[in-house]
Amino acid sequence: MKSRSLSPTEAALFEAGGPRTKRRIAVGTAVAVAALAALLAWVVYRLYINGQFAPMYWSLFGDPKVWGFLGMGLVGTLRAAFGAGAIGLVCGLVLMFGRMSGIAPIRWLSIAVIEFVRGTPTLLFIYFFFLVPAQFGIHMSTYWMVVIPVASYASAVLAEVFRSGVEAVPIGQKEAALSLGLTRWQMYQSVVLPQMFRIVVPTMVAQLVVVVKDTTFGYVVTYPEMMQNTKVLIANYNSLLPVYLVTSIIYVLINYAISWFARWLSDRIGLDFEV
Amino acid sequence: MATHQSLWGSLVYLLAHYGWQYVSSYGVALRIGVLSFLGGVALAFVLTMLRVSPIPPLRAAISFYVEVFRNIPVLALLIFIVFALPEVGLVIDYEPSVIVTLILVASAFGCDALRSGINAIDPGQVEAARSLGLTFFDIVTSIIMPQALRTVVQPMVTLFISVIVSSSTGAMVPLAHTELTGLVNQINTKDALGIPTFFVAAMFYVCTGLVIAAFGRFLEKKVALCR
Repeated sequence: MKSRSLSPTEAALFEAGGPRTKRRIAVGTAVAVAALAALLAWVVYRLYINGQFAPMYWSLFGDPKVWGFLGMGLVGTLRAAFGAGAIGLVCGLVLMFGRMSGIAPIRWLSIAVIEFVRGTPTLLFIYFFFLVPAQFGIHMSTYWMVVIPVASYASAVLAEVFRSGVEAVPIGQKEAALSLGLTRWQMYQSVVLPQMFRIVVPTMVAQLVVVVKDTTFGYVVTYPEMMQNTKVLIANYNSLLPVYLVTSIIYVLINYAISWFARWLSDRIGLDFEV
Repeated sequence: MATHQSLWGSLVYLLAHYGWQYVSSYGVALRIGVLSFLGGVALAFVLTMLRVSPIPPLRAAISFYVEVFRNIPVLALLIFIVFALPEVGLVIDYEPSVIVTLILVASAFGCDALRSGINAIDPGQVEAARSLGLTFFDIVTSIIMPQALRTVVQPMVTLFISVIVSSSTGAMVPLAHTELTGLVNQINTKDALGIPTFFVAAMFYVCTGLVIAAFGRFLEKKVALCR
């Protein structure tokens, strides 16, 4: 995790210059501002000449029902994200123990599962749960069609995150615990895992961003999350670009907030740990 | 197709009837992945140079760009490009749309990776370079970037794998040449072959990822810097 302020290396790149450098920076700043303003003006102009500012495209946002429907989508997104996150947490721990097991076949199986799930697109898994159980006559709700694939991916990634966390706990701690007569299980439970979680919490929170992004595939199975509800809104109102724009901004804001929280946690814990 | 067949039997049937289509769809996935990665890294390079430039509005604009494209879901961005941009007269064909989407996202992640690579360089090196009279451009191109690139091998390899995996998002739009995930969906709509169709496609993705990861480890050993 990076801190928001300039790093020492970045700060060294531009320390106070002389009058000529200052002048050049001033010119550069003026040019950059002009270029950015021109870019913004071009975007606004494109929107304008295509009539995208017409009130008819935006009036739906004055309707509380529209916001209510988007809000319901957001609730669906969060339900799927937290469900998948919780399952990912538990299965990730199980996979981590399997991955670190002393019994070789269990370790191999865990490695195979982790590599397989991590290397496969989540969308492929979603199509799998969308199409295959139905072929065997098994009925699944759309919630689980989204949550199981998203949770699987999160489990595989978290298993590796947890493993690096366990490896980051000093070996002396484990040796001390064992020499005090703790069993392996007691050692993990009361010495290793509490420290491991402290180390990996920021990375875990950051992983939630991926989970939120993956829930957008609810669109495929018509699970009512925000992307799916956006599609429904567009079908019912005569407005396309503004609705997609608003939804995209909401996603960016949510994920930005999660990333910010992860960075804050990481700064607070004061450990520089990245997987 | 009948489900009474053995798993092995349906696997053989699948490869006999769709084997070639798998290979060509895999080719499309690879093409989208490689082009997006190359474009993304090239753009990330330029963005990173601008992000560490001494011009505050440029730094702010690039930070904004990175935050937006790091945090937007790939699917939301793809749908925006495919369905919303034509509303303002920007019509991009499906496959280029997927590539543009992935370039935007990959460049944001690549920019962050390069920036961490820069931050791993001792500031004393920059000060030394400046005291030798090198300009900002010289410092960035001959001191910063060569070292930053060596330290970002691992994040770049991870990015490459994730871009190839993300090419599966192309299944959401009607591509002229279907990519791998879209092909699996098509086969299952025509011919309910079930589990093997998915397994074969997944193995293509997984093996590609493992090969790239192995190459990455080799490359990292080769260019590693001793600090």
